[in-house]
Amino acid sequence: MSIRSAVVLAAGEGARLRPLTKHRPKPMLPAATKPILEHVFDALVDAGITEITVVVGYGHTHVQSHFGSTYRDSSLEYVVQDKQLGSGHALLAAESAVSEPRLVLNGDQLVAGQIVEDVLDAHENDDDALATLGLIRHADVGEYGGVICEDDGTVETIVERPRDDRTYKLNAGVYAFEPELFDYLHGPEPHLNEYSLVDGIANAVDAEETVRGVTSDGIWIDATYPWDLLEVTETLFESADGVESTVSSTARVHESATIVEPTVISADCVVGPGAVVGPNVALGENVTVGANAVVEHSVVDADTRVGSGAALVDCVTGRNVRVGTGSTVVGGPGDVRVGDRVHEGEQLGALLADRVRDDGGVTYAPGTIVGSDAVINAGTTVRGTVEEGTEVQ
Amino acid sequence: MCGIVGYVGSTGGDDAVDVVLDGLSTLEYRGYDSAGLAVPTPSMAVHKAAGELSALEETVPRDDLAGESVGIGHTRWSTHGAPTDANAHPHSDEAERVAVVHNGIIENYQRLRDDLADAGVAFQSETDTEVVPHLIRRYLDRGADPETAFRSAIDQLEGSYAIAAVFDGSETVYAARQDSPLVVGLGETGTYLASDVPAFVDHTDRVCYLEDGDFVRLTADGAVVTDGEGETVDRPIETVAWDPEDAEKSGYDHYMLKEIHEQPSSLRQCLRGRIDELEGTVNLEELSDIDHDGPVQFVACGTSYHAAMFGAERLRAGCVSAQAFLASEYASDRVPVDGDTLVVGVTQSGETADTLRALREAARAGATTLAVTNTVASSAARECDHALYIRAGPEIGVAATKTFASQQLALAMLAFELGDDPTRAELEALRDVPGQVQTVLETTDAKAVAEAYVDADAYFSVGRGYHYPVALEGALKMKEITYRHAEGFAAGELKHGPLALVTENTPVFAIVTGDGETARKTIGNVKQIASRDAPIVVVTDGKSRVTRYADHVLEIPATDDLGGSVLANVQLQLVAYWIAHGLERSIDKPRHLAKSVTVE
Repeated sequence: MSIRSAVVLAAGEGARLRPLTKHRPKPMLPAATKPILEHVFDALVDAGITEITVVVGYGHTHVQSHFGSTYRDSSLEYVVQDKQLGSGHALLAAESAVSEPRLVLNGDQLVAGQIVEDVLDAHENDDDALATLGLIRHADVGEYGGVICEDDGTVETIVERPRDDRTYKLNAGVYAFEPELFDYLHGPEPHLNEYSLVDGIANAVDAEETVRGVTSDGIWIDATYPWDLLEVTETLFESADGVESTVSSTARVHESATIVEPTVISADCVVGPGAVVGPNVALGENVTVGANAVVEHSVVDADTRVGSGAALVDCVTGRNVRVGTGSTVVGGPGDVRVGDRVHEGEQLGALLADRVRDDGGVTYAPGTIVGSDAVINAGTTVRGTVEEGTEVQ
Repeated sequence: MCGIVGYVGSTGGDDAVDVVLDGLSTLEYRGYDSAGLAVPTPSMAVHKAAGELSALEETVPRDDLAGESVGIGHTRWSTHGAPTDANAHPHSDEAERVAVVHNGIIENYQRLRDDLADAGVAFQSETDTEVVPHLIRRYLDRGADPETAFRSAIDQLEGSYAIAAVFDGSETVYAARQDSPLVVGLGETGTYLASDVPAFVDHTDRVCYLEDGDFVRLTADGAVVTDGEGETVDRPIETVAWDPEDAEKSGYDHYMLKEIHEQPSSLRQCLRGRIDELEGTVNLEELSDIDHDGPVQFVACGTSYHAAMFGAERLRAGCVSAQAFLASEYASDRVPVDGDTLVVGVTQSGETADTLRALREAARAGATTLAVTNTVASSAARECDHALYIRAGPEIGVAATKTFASQQLALAMLAFELGDDPTRAELEALRDVPGQVQTVLETTDAKAVAEAYVDADAYFSVGRGYHYPVALEGALKMKEITYRHAEGFAAGELKHGPLALVTENTPVFAIVTGDGETARKTIGNVKQIASRDAPIVVVTDGKSRVTRYADHVLEIPATDDLGGSVLANVQLQLVAYWIAHGLERSIDKPRHLAKSVTVE
């Protein structure tokens, strides 16, 4: 029987992406110019899914208001999960909406349509499987879920963050499953107070249920840290079914400005005289790039204003950011501090969270992170981390 | 003021009961105090019930009517007679040979009713509508065929109406339109009729708008439109772009909250392609052939009137003589209107009867007319010389929210088109509004303020300049959905009387932006209120010192006064919503109200 319905788990904040996730959840952060979740929906709709149940939680009004009740003619239903207690718990939130085989996947990871299609095909053609998992070969498997299959694809081992030196494939977080899987989700003891989908699947494997893995090629990207959004955008530009260079018909680009591809310029943007935008730039809706400003290798989110003569290199901005006249984001690599950990040599010029305002002539040292609503006075040089709402003189 | 639906299904079409009930559910914004339907085959069956549509759904014996493909239905907002079962539509004659649904007011009904009563007719209801089936019956008794009887009865009527009728055992629906909206839908599963497109948009997007004086005969094959003389007239068939999804709640508890949260995207739509910051101009494509330098008069009702006041204020700032009038009070013999005047009707639905009447009167006086509306091909858009669309998308909640915000921005752009050219700073401020509304939605403390004052005796709001209409609108929102007393005042007027109402249990919402002269004067008024011990909630960008007098602050991003008034209004919408929520009111369907009022 063919599967037409999917559950998308989009309730988590994505705490490691702070301060970008101060007001909206990780699935709504931009991969190029569209939210990550929109790319996930595209993969589903391309694979023939027509009914999507979205489990939302943190910042859920952002998801609901952005997408409404349908996406590309597929219906969207929302289930609000008040407390985020892991992927298994999230799926249970949608249990009452599930009476037949379903697909479930994460709303905060970019996944190629091919992976979705392969999982659906394999599950529909396998009468025995309680669940079918999408797998890929990936170097970072130690950071995510690992799976070892027998030769016929039957899952033998499924674990989070494998630490031994066996050869694991990466669990892409795309599952087709029969409703009976819910019996095993109710079962597991919460692991660190979180009910994970992986625990439930592992329970089913232990109970000798048939769970299969299917290995695909294609993109699978997870943005763990804010600077990953730059790499995600670059990957989408490079990939055949990713993002193409475009300039919206409602954007106004001055004839003396230069657009260097690949670059996406969204609706209502304004690019002033003499500005240079690109390569590898994604401008969200209603962004202004002032006269003679330079923007390269950057993701600039909606409503941001880049002042005249400013330069942004390797920069991620949130929404409504004001970069003043002549300010400079020097570009990476730099050392970035997140919590207690310092990430050395990351390709990040600066991260400016929602509504950061600089008054002009500001220099951002490589790896600077500025929290939302911070104000930076003219002529300042900033480095390291600036807490949200502070004023830097 | 009501919604009507009609359907004639083709072979393989749907059950009329389902089409009619589904259609009525989308028209509940037009009224929801009683509902009914009639299925004329195999023999006339009429069902009706006081209360919301759910009451009718429980009453209708679906099994008995299964397989029948002809029907009409009605959802009512009372004008003549209380919302009772008897006063609900459809109305029929004593022998149930004909059943009629009606939207509008029959002005000469008393005379018709007296004549019929003299002739021995026993009326079952207090409605004006009931004269229609009895009139039709009289012509049937004289040997007229149904269509002739229907036309003869309609000829007797004066007033406004969209009327549909079905006859016992017949698979044809007859309808007529005069000053009340009526649209025909042509689908593969049958032929549809409704007061508004959403009633059948799930079935077809091919529509035909009827004009005043039109009659229409609906059969399974299609519709034949005729004029008063019986001559066939061609009405163009249009394809409507209407996304049925917009009429769903998307996981929100209420349409109102959904629509409040949709404001950033609806405002983006309103502005899209209309601002050219590189050239420093506003380009309203629809108005490219308007060339007007005379005075401007706005006519509007309710929330739209507040938007009109705002628009007039902005035009005056751009050196254009402009005034806003309540449409119901607008009369050309008392207002100086002539060929040099541009009369702008602001109406979300484009069907507001008071506004349409005022626009017609202005047109008769020689004025150029412009409709500022959310509804493409609405009566206002079609009748006026020009139309400017606010592009807010469908609004379902009876309390207008996103359409007011979009009216504000559309009228600000109109002011730039007609008056002085905008500065770059003004254009950038307009472009900033959608993102700043998003900021308000993300950071608002409105829920906490609502919780603090849910039990207040009354609510007052004050503002100056652009914030005065917003103070009025904030109070109207509060009245509409909380049923509590609320008043908005020009900040300077409070001391000339209303201050007597202010007590320690009447919170006053003051809107103050910037730190210019307007702000300083309003702060002076706030001090006067504070010294009477009233709790003060200020809605402010924090540029002035007003917060020192405040018990609560609702913060908005800093921008110019015009943008600030859009943002301040969003805060007041949210306060009203959360107070109504706390009081467990029927937020999307407040008592006694309807969204689009098509009677005067």
